[in-house]
Amino acid sequence: MTSDPFISAAGTPIVEQAVPQVRFKSEGDRLLLLLPLESEAAATSWADLWQQFKQRLNANERFWQAHTPVYLVARDRLLDGRQLQAIADALSDAQLYLKRVYTSRRQTAVAAATTGFSVEQQSPAQGFEAGKALAEPLYLETTVRSGVEVRHAGSVVVLGDVNPGSSIIADGDVLVWGALRGVAQAGAKGNLRCVIMALRLEPTQIRIADFMARAPEQPPDQYIPEVAYVALEGIRIARAADFSKDRLFPPES
Amino acid sequence: MSRIIVVTSGKGGVGKTTTTANLGMALAQRGHKVAVVDADFGLRNLDLLLGLENRIVYTAVEVLAGECRLDQALVRDKRQPNLALLPAAQNRTKDAVTPEQMKKLIGALTKAFHFILIDCPAGIEMGFQNAVVAAREAIVVTTPEVAAVRDADRVVGLLEANDIKRMYLVINRLKPAMVEKDMMMSVKDVQDILAIPLLGVVPDDEKVVVSTNRGEPLVLSTETQSLASTAFANIVRRLEGEKVPFLDLTPPPEDFLSRMRRFFGQKP
Ligand SMILES: Nc1ncnc2c1ncn2[C@@H]1O[C@H](COP(=O)(O)OP(=O)(O)O)[C@@H](O)[C@H]1O
Ligand SMILES: [Mg+2]
Repeated sequence: MTSDPFISAAGTPIVEQAVPQVRFKSEGDRLLLLLPLESEAAATSWADLWQQFKQRLNANERFWQAHTPVYLVARDRLLDGRQLQAIADALSDAQLYLKRVYTSRRQTAVAAATTGFSVEQQSPAQGFEAGKALAEPLYLETTVRSGVEVRHAGSVVVLGDVNPGSSIIADGDVLVWGALRGVAQAGAKGNLRCVIMALRLEPTQIRIADFMARAPEQPPDQYIPEVAYVALEGIRIARAADFSKDRLFPPES
Repeated sequence: MSRIIVVTSGKGGVGKTTTTANLGMALAQRGHKVAVVDADFGLRNLDLLLGLENRIVYTAVEVLAGECRLDQALVRDKRQPNLALLPAAQNRTKDAVTPEQMKKLIGALTKAFHFILIDCPAGIEMGFQNAVVAAREAIVVTTPEVAAVRDADRVVGLLEANDIKRMYLVINRLKPAMVEKDMMMSVKDVQDILAIPLLGVVPDDEKVVVSTNRGEPLVLSTETQSLASTAFANIVRRLEGEKVPFLDLTPPPEDFLSRMRRFFGQKP
């Protein structure tokens, strides 16, 4: 904590895992808005950050109580007053309000304070634990459209279609309650037990851990809900209706 | 309140400018005061399609620079006095205008016009940002081709991020005979991916090319009634809120998946 006069008194400290993309997380009766690290190799541009933010906001609206306070965990990201205001405005359109900004950057803290937000400056290392456990599932109620890449350190659930030209990269499972036509990767950190399920599995490509499979050249006449998983010989696809049985009671081979 | 509608697509050459010119003219014919705005700075051609090229004196850039008034830059159409064109600069680069300026310009137009149609450039760069910043609705134009649909899908995502909630789909240059032979995506194939409400399907029609070269939007010609001009006229009536049956290209009945989608709260 610094002694800068414009920085408000400390609130409840926020301890949070690193996130690969913008993410909302419910914590009691408050909501955390987590931004990815700017110092990471594949730093996200403001334009991409904004698109991720809006997508998460639109895709989760149904779950939030009106007037829930939002704590923006900006970490080492440089944000100017206009960007902070844009975030606050979009939140208030969704009937949420920006309560406080957490940042490790002095410039962001100054911008936040001069724009009129309460702010808390954290030391860069403070409050971030490199957790091993998967993050709670990311739940998206939206169509994931071409050009969008969703990354998450846990499972991803999509209520809607995943369109060609988009990709879902999850450290856990990928569940698509709709048509999966883009690229999906489950167990991105190497977990072989992760699965990909879709009501309509017609992906461009699927990956589980280090295994990869492409869609057959000849698409089937009819689509039924299916599950992709890793078996001895690589990725296999099973009818969803049979999958759990096979998993629990593997057929003699 | 005026309706501000951007006509956009992602991919070039799919019919944005053709659509803007025809819808603008058809709306004006139905008594609305219409301004069509060319937001394709550096590659303008909306004036050509409308046959108004030789009447341009000032452009949006001069208005913004304070070198002329807005009404001096507006080109009124002599054939249809309800229609006016705000031309883009031909010689300046597309960076000559910022989104904030564009917003101001369009805001000024709402005082005198019911409909403002913005012809968007191809791509998703600055020119796109300029074209969509002031819009409240969007017409997404695509041809029934995989690459065009992919780009349109990208654009729908970006429009969502720009808070444009009302989006309509126009499928242009459909060739029913090719669809029949399974050589072209069908209306349903395109809808299945884009999942936004269908506003109209315009068939591929040589008369479009002829009218383009003549600088006379299809909907203006009275001599021949083409299928494409009927399609544009129907689109305009649907924009007004009327329920107009689709031409003989009616999409097949709702399938399981789009029922499902509606269940999720999305419009099919
Ligand atoms: N329905 C159609 N049938 C035949 N040709 C068309 C049709 N729509 C557009 N075209 C032609 O396609 C070309 C590109 O159209 P244009 O409107 O300039 O596209 P964009 O503005 O998206 O780049 C033009 O030559 C135009 O005449
Ligand atoms: Mg054009």
